[in-house]
Amino acid sequence: MAAAIEFRNVSKYFRANRTAYSMARDDLAALFTRRSPDANVIRALDEIDLEIPEGQAFGLIGENGAGKTTLLKLASRITYPTAGKIRVRGRVGALIEVGSGMHPELTGRENIGLYGRILGISRRDIRRRFDEIVDFAEIGPALDRPLKQFSSGMQLRLGFSLAAHLEPDVLLVDEAIAVGDAGFQYRCVERISTLVKEGRTLVFVSHNMSAVEALCERSLLLRQGRIVRDGPTREVIAEYLHGVEQVLLEKGPSRAPRYGEELELIGVTLLDEHANEVDGVGAGRPLTVRLNLRASRPIHRPIFEIGIADGRIGSLAMASMLIDGQAPEVLEGDCTVDCTFHDLPLMPRVYELWGGVMGAAGLGDVLAWQRLRLFRVEGEVSQAGLAAVSETLMKAPIQLRYDWAVRVPAARP
Amino acid sequence: MRELWQFRDVLAAFVARQLRVRYKQAVVGAGWVLLQPLASAAIFALFLGRYAHVKSEGTPYLLFALGGTAAWGYFSGAATTGSESLVANQNLLRKIYFPREILPLTAVVSGLVDLAIGLGVLVIVTFLYGISPTVAWVALPLPVLILAAFASAFALGLSSLNIYYRDVRYVLPFLIQFGLFASPIAYPLSAIPASWRNAYAILNPVGGAVDAVRRIVIHGDWPNPVTAFGALGWSLCLAVLTYALFKRLERGFSDRV
Repeated sequence: MAAAIEFRNVSKYFRANRTAYSMARDDLAALFTRRSPDANVIRALDEIDLEIPEGQAFGLIGENGAGKTTLLKLASRITYPTAGKIRVRGRVGALIEVGSGMHPELTGRENIGLYGRILGISRRDIRRRFDEIVDFAEIGPALDRPLKQFSSGMQLRLGFSLAAHLEPDVLLVDEAIAVGDAGFQYRCVERISTLVKEGRTLVFVSHNMSAVEALCERSLLLRQGRIVRDGPTREVIAEYLHGVEQVLLEKGPSRAPRYGEELELIGVTLLDEHANEVDGVGAGRPLTVRLNLRASRPIHRPIFEIGIADGRIGSLAMASMLIDGQAPEVLEGDCTVDCTFHDLPLMPRVYELWGGVMGAAGLGDVLAWQRLRLFRVEGEVSQAGLAAVSETLMKAPIQLRYDWAVRVPAARP
Repeated sequence: MRELWQFRDVLAAFVARQLRVRYKQAVVGAGWVLLQPLASAAIFALFLGRYAHVKSEGTPYLLFALGGTAAWGYFSGAATTGSESLVANQNLLRKIYFPREILPLTAVVSGLVDLAIGLGVLVIVTFLYGISPTVAWVALPLPVLILAAFASAFALGLSSLNIYYRDVRYVLPFLIQFGLFASPIAYPLSAIPASWRNAYAILNPVGGAVDAVRRIVIHGDWPNPVTAFGALGWSLCLAVLTYALFKRLERGFSDRV
């Protein structure tokens, strides 16, 4: 099949931090030397080679500033490459910050007519699909009020609704579905998948990995303007999330000792079932957290608590001597405290380990509640669901054993 | 150019948008289109016609000035809005693709509505002074074309420079003011020494256009073919040149705006 989008060795550089005066000087110099000076150049995209066949749903993944939006803007001719060739076949519809061209003084109805045409919907199509556009945007009675009296949510919905009723050959979507409430987002994704099913080419930029995974068969991972990986979406997302975790682990709290007044935490180590020191553990395997401590004077009945968290407020699970009543009589000199979790029913990803020590009767902090370190629950994603990779790696952390049973009334003859 | 034709509907939409937005939230609303040329012609008539006794080709000074202000109002308006158009719509530049020249041309095209109304006012006032139309009136599109081409040149050139250097925004008012005095708006073209007159009216096409409007509507005469066609040719030339400049600079617009 022919390529809908073709990038050949495309680079896009921006000049950074320039004053109007220095720009004028450079512009003047460029007139005579035909060569732009190289200082302060930001490489938004660097030598990108890319071919997207017609009808493919294609995802773009990467951190902020990786070059995703620049790539979309190049494909839609909003901006031009510094070097390289770009070919896009067919009509392009770009959903990049939808609604920015609508006019606040005009009514919703006028804006549909005019902004729709500016986006490239023909007058006839607008008339034909007017009700559909209004219904989709859920603006109903506000239709004949000036746009400036719309709530910002209504403005965004109207903008998206118009853009979504374009019928382009190539649809470029940039974070646009992060618009409106959950119900509206759901319908946006529905709308986009309909367009994909109709055989249109989609390039989809989103930080919503589940949506990318569910919509796109193939994805590209960009980092600092370069292609890191190009392949089946699941593999690309897994690599991306892995990289994000790696950064977390590297930036995570150091193992340097932290002090209480009387109790010093010297180190936190993780041990597997064979007492080997590890950084992570397989899902469902036991994990021992070992605290090496030094008590400057005898501490009576200290109450230990160790929690597992994943960045949300509160802990996912906790081992607490306040609950189990296993506080030791006394802590003195160099000592170790082991806490073994017998199995961790957790999805594979990086978690935080928190801990603290309270005085007898659970009053006062001997060692303040703090993040001790990070650890990884390892595992392969082997499920077949639409967004198996991203959901497993990002959403609900606790793994339970479960079965489904679906009963549907028998079809009538 | 072919692309511009493909996007003509987008241009039409921009023009419609511009016209609808223009006088929203103004009490007098579209009445301003009528009032503006009349008011400035009245001011000219009062101070220049009555007190300073500026010559007016033997016709009532109000009528004479109205011919100038209708044309000048269109030109200065289109040139000013046109040169601000890219910067004012930078949101669109950064989010939607369309041929960028549509924005400055929107100012030129939507201003034509004002010009038509301004000329309409002139015609009505002409009737009130008891002057009836002649066959020469069919030549009226000629000065309109001159003004539109010259305004396009200004709008295309200055709007693209304005993207790169906002200094344009501050220079333009002086240019416009200078243009008002340098064009035969308040005074007749015949005030220019005869030996320079044609060159003057060609190089400043507003002069050629205003003179043509006055000859046609007020005097019922044909425009001077040398100045009229000369001015038209010159302003078309400028329009083509600035269009080429615009297309050259266009690639950097969304990055530099």
